[in-house]
Amino acid sequence: MTRPNPQALRSCQLPAGAAVRLRSVSRRFGAVTALDSVSLEVPAGSFCVLLGPSGCGKTTCLRIVAGLEQASGGTVEIGGRDVTNLPPAERGVAMVFQSYALFPHLNVEENIVFGLKARGVAKPERARRLEYASAILGIGALLTRRPGQLSGGQQQRVALGRAIVAESPVCLMDEPLSNLDAKLRAEMRHELLALQRRLGITMLYVTHDQTEAMGMADQVVLLHDGHIEQDASPAEIYARPATAFAAGFIGTPPMNLIPLEPGEGGLVARGTAGPVLAPMLNTQTLAGVRPEALRLADGGIPAIVLHSEYLGADTVLACSVGEGARVLARLPGHAGLAEGSRVRLAAESCDIHHFDAATGRRLGTAAQAA
Amino acid sequence: MRGLEIAGAWLLGILWVAPLLYAVWTAFHPAAYATHFSLFAPLTLHNFVQAWNAAPFARYFLNTTLLVSLVLVAQFVLCTPAAFAFARLEFPGRDTLFAIVLLQLMVMPDVLLVGNYHILSQLGLVDTILGIALPYLGSAFGIFLLRQTFRTVPQELDDAARLEGCTLLARLWRVYVPLARPTYIAYGLVSVSYHWNNFLWPLVITNSVSTRPLTVGLAVFSSVEQGIDWSIITAATLMTSAPLLLAFLLFQRQFVQSFMRAGIR
Repeated sequence: MTRPNPQALRSCQLPAGAAVRLRSVSRRFGAVTALDSVSLEVPAGSFCVLLGPSGCGKTTCLRIVAGLEQASGGTVEIGGRDVTNLPPAERGVAMVFQSYALFPHLNVEENIVFGLKARGVAKPERARRLEYASAILGIGALLTRRPGQLSGGQQQRVALGRAIVAESPVCLMDEPLSNLDAKLRAEMRHELLALQRRLGITMLYVTHDQTEAMGMADQVVLLHDGHIEQDASPAEIYARPATAFAAGFIGTPPMNLIPLEPGEGGLVARGTAGPVLAPMLNTQTLAGVRPEALRLADGGIPAIVLHSEYLGADTVLACSVGEGARVLARLPGHAGLAEGSRVRLAAESCDIHHFDAATGRRLGTAAQAA
Repeated sequence: MRGLEIAGAWLLGILWVAPLLYAVWTAFHPAAYATHFSLFAPLTLHNFVQAWNAAPFARYFLNTTLLVSLVLVAQFVLCTPAAFAFARLEFPGRDTLFAIVLLQLMVMPDVLLVGNYHILSQLGLVDTILGIALPYLGSAFGIFLLRQTFRTVPQELDDAARLEGCTLLARLWRVYVPLARPTYIAYGLVSVSYHWNNFLWPLVITNSVSTRPLTVGLAVFSSVEQGIDWSIITAATLMTSAPLLLAFLLFQRQFVQSFMRAGIR
């Protein structure tokens, strides 16, 4: 594949991004609520990832921004303009679909300029934008091929090309990397991010893969059952998950959530005699500890090794704590512990998060609570 | 068991092709050899010349061509939007309406012979090519076939075209119709061969040389009053079916393929 041509890139004007704002947007299908009063603000030119498990409403949210679906309530603004009732073509958005949605009867060039033709853009302008996009994406050699003759990665580039030539201030992407193999996915992640930075467009990106979210986003919006669990930067969402769900979703492996019960001097892991993991805040409390924050130390939580997985740089220990709570610990190097051996796992108090077991809400770290 | 199957296939094949072989034999030999097989019988094209001169076949060819083109174009133009509406638009009563359209598939056209004649005579269209075509212009089969094909077009392609600023008609024309091409070809072949061979309705509705299609022309030509000369009749038959036969032989592969692709067996 040819590399991008830097000269062609410099000669072109870049479209600027536009801010996207959702105000209490809801979407109901009969009795089912797919989106429940979602409010969201994406600054112009930033990369926003809508993250969540399947069925959480992230794709619905994206389709409402695109105008492919109508919200049952609430408003959508793009660049300060209320677009809630505008048709998709008048909203200034481009979209890359999960299946790429390339027209199988058209070749690459015709696919890329399809929208420009439909909008009646003049021929010289079409040629300029086509050249620009194919230079950026390095697909100049593929222009006369049909989508069926392209590999997954090449199809992906053509789909991106179609979004680039639209020169829309906002680009929407619906799981664009899910059909690629792992190696290509990592490559495309870098390329997508570089492309978004270079074009300065606002990106709304839907994925269920937290690696993509953590690696690319300026802003991660974590959705669950149609509402926003947390809307924050990747660092913030990792360091201070707002809910037990966010804690259990982010991180590989995700944060351990250990049920607590009152013990001597505070709350302890259920079924153990100590150590104290939280002050007496609330008897229905979960303690959250990242696997990478745990280490082997005397005076830690007593645990029994269930399984040990050596990954090269580190080892993931699966342990049972107290009354069967499963805790993962990520230890550097080859920890080499046999199944059934007894260990003690400790963490700094600032690495222990507390959540209300009933509502899932964050209760503040141990350090702050103490 | 396998041998039996092959033998059966050959038997059926020979039974099927026998009349055609007989027609070819008779048409290319003098009348004396019509019921008399001899390997050294002289070949002749005389029968074709005679048949061509005996009836206005050129006019009949023109009539049939006009008829099948008119039917084909009108069916495409009428079935496409109807099929699209049934496949992708939401409107109250859609499924009921579609069921009513499908009901038409169960009504044999021959049942409506008298009724259609009555209506066409009121319209003043008896003995016109439009009159032959009119009862067939809206086709439930075509609507059904295209609807099924349109439903298989991925919704994301439609969404993409919508985002790119295509109107409803532009989406139909630029996305759905090109993707349904195999179905159009398959349906076109069915329609052309049906209307090329259709006999009863054109026989009823036409009564002059300027409107009669080939099938009716051939029947008039071979009626008893003319005296039966098998050589000339078979020559005329071969002549009239030749375009379809040739087209089928040439496009055999595409023909079968487009049927497979369109999901009709």
